[in-house]
Amino acid sequence: MEKMKLTLLYSDLKSDIDIIEKELETALNSSSHLINDASLHLLQAGGKRIRPVFVLISAKFGQYNIDQIKNIAVPLELIHMASLVHDDVIDDSDLRRGRHTVKAQWNNRVAMYTGDFIFARALEYVTSIENVKVHQILAKTMVEICNGEVIQIEDKFRGEQNLKDYFRRIKRKTALLIESSCELGAVVGGLDDKNVRHLKRFGYFVGMSYQIVDDILDFTATDKELGKPAGSDLLQGNITLPILLLKDHPTIQRFVEKASKSDVSEADRLEMLKVVRNSDAIKQAINLSNQYLRKALKEVDALPNHPMKKKLRDVALFIGKRKF
Amino acid sequence: MDATYIQQSIEQLKTNIFMHVRHRTLIQYTGSPMLDENQLFYLLLPFINGEKWDEQIQKSAITVGIVHASLSEHDKISESNATSKEQQLTVLSGDYYSGRYYEILAHSGNIPLIRQLSEGIVSRCEQQIKLYESSQYTVNEWYQVISVIQTELIKRFYQVYQFEQYSPFMHTGLLLLQLQKELHQHQCGTASNLFVKMQESVAGGEGSIESIIQKEIDSLKNLLNEYLETSEFLKDDLKLYIQHQVALNEKLTRER
Repeated sequence: MEKMKLTLLYSDLKSDIDIIEKELETALNSSSHLINDASLHLLQAGGKRIRPVFVLISAKFGQYNIDQIKNIAVPLELIHMASLVHDDVIDDSDLRRGRHTVKAQWNNRVAMYTGDFIFARALEYVTSIENVKVHQILAKTMVEICNGEVIQIEDKFRGEQNLKDYFRRIKRKTALLIESSCELGAVVGGLDDKNVRHLKRFGYFVGMSYQIVDDILDFTATDKELGKPAGSDLLQGNITLPILLLKDHPTIQRFVEKASKSDVSEADRLEMLKVVRNSDAIKQAINLSNQYLRKALKEVDALPNHPMKKKLRDVALFIGKRKF
Repeated sequence: MDATYIQQSIEQLKTNIFMHVRHRTLIQYTGSPMLDENQLFYLLLPFINGEKWDEQIQKSAITVGIVHASLSEHDKISESNATSKEQQLTVLSGDYYSGRYYEILAHSGNIPLIRQLSEGIVSRCEQQIKLYESSQYTVNEWYQVISVIQTELIKRFYQVYQFEQYSPFMHTGLLLLQLQKELHQHQCGTASNLFVKMQESVAGGEGSIESIIQKEIDSLKNLLNEYLETSEFLKDDLKLYIQHQVALNEKLTRER
């Protein structure tokens, strides 16, 4: 339902999104039937394709040519896909969006090679763009995302962390790639530096809001909606915003302690979820997400008049209000 | 030029690679990047032989080494269980090195090499994943898998800088050295998955896998010697070094 709403939201971009989808299929085509199977598995799992959408919308503010823009929209989605395949190995996740992950369907090595293949395809694809600045932005983003993931592993089950640690982590984990999607769409669309900056900042603020909402939904959505057990983040040791806001609660402290020893029962999980859902932490987290959304909307206001301004606002608000 | 000079050049390249991918947490949990000295030697072969070698080529050679290190990290991931902190960070070290190679080449605007190396990684992954396919491959097809894994990225580097005249030495030399290594590991009781696949591919046929691989090694040795004897541009010291490399590896195998 939510994905359908999003599709409706950018229905006027549909023909270009269809081109991106086709290009993703082509990019993932391999001489190895195993890589083809794994890639098809990923494509069929779908996804919101929000990164390509942000590239397209940002580029619309400049000289829009889908044949050029796709050369950055497709690699950004591929990089996102590849990092999910590797993340599932790191998190030992068997399910994503209700489907078996590549590592669960085959094994960790197949997931590693498939991820490496997709990363390489992304870079191969992006080399059709000669603008060195594009490569510098993308490369820096890739390195920073990795740094963020290293920090996330270091922070697992770490009790003494604060909001600053959390925001630093989600900036790299999620916001950067959305920020870069907007920035790169704007650069390839030939926008001036000032408007590139506004779109880049818009992407950053929306990305922060997106991850906060994701972290809230991990507790408030149902197992079915999530396609995995609710509370999975905390089970894996990721201390996200709702938990940081509840870190002195005895049930939560006990749960974190048990999770760090992989000693959590189903009853423990349900009790933890009840505490989080009934607490004020969810409301506070929503407020923080909304603060980022307001900042994102301010950046939209600063952009020149264009029909796509409404689109940016709508997509940002959808992301901030989505239910799963 | 002597063996010491060659060894020093390889060590210098290693140091440069380490410098470019240094990461406090990753080093602490996963150690230094894994580099194959034989591959580094062939990467440097045009330089050691006196070809024009500027700063850009040197930086490019470093990035080829980084890509090798990146893919080697992912070869260390356990098939069934990667839940330890070390394994999790090994996944990330491979990704980090991969990002770093791209970042270095993007900063120098070397888009042709980015394209060549990414195409090379694609080919390499397509070969490596064959280990997990249900299809049956012949022993010759497995040799081809080894050859691509060992040589593809250096081949791409040679292509970009017009060093293709070194390709026959590199292809033959690296395949030969790797087959010797596979045989040696098997003799030590630590056969690789690839060796097991080669073994399966000849099961029920004539001759043991050891004798089949040894025959291939002998044939590659003859071919390499032929290339060395007929080459007019490769310096004599390098010819000797290459022959010595093979002989040393062979000694290890024979000593078992």
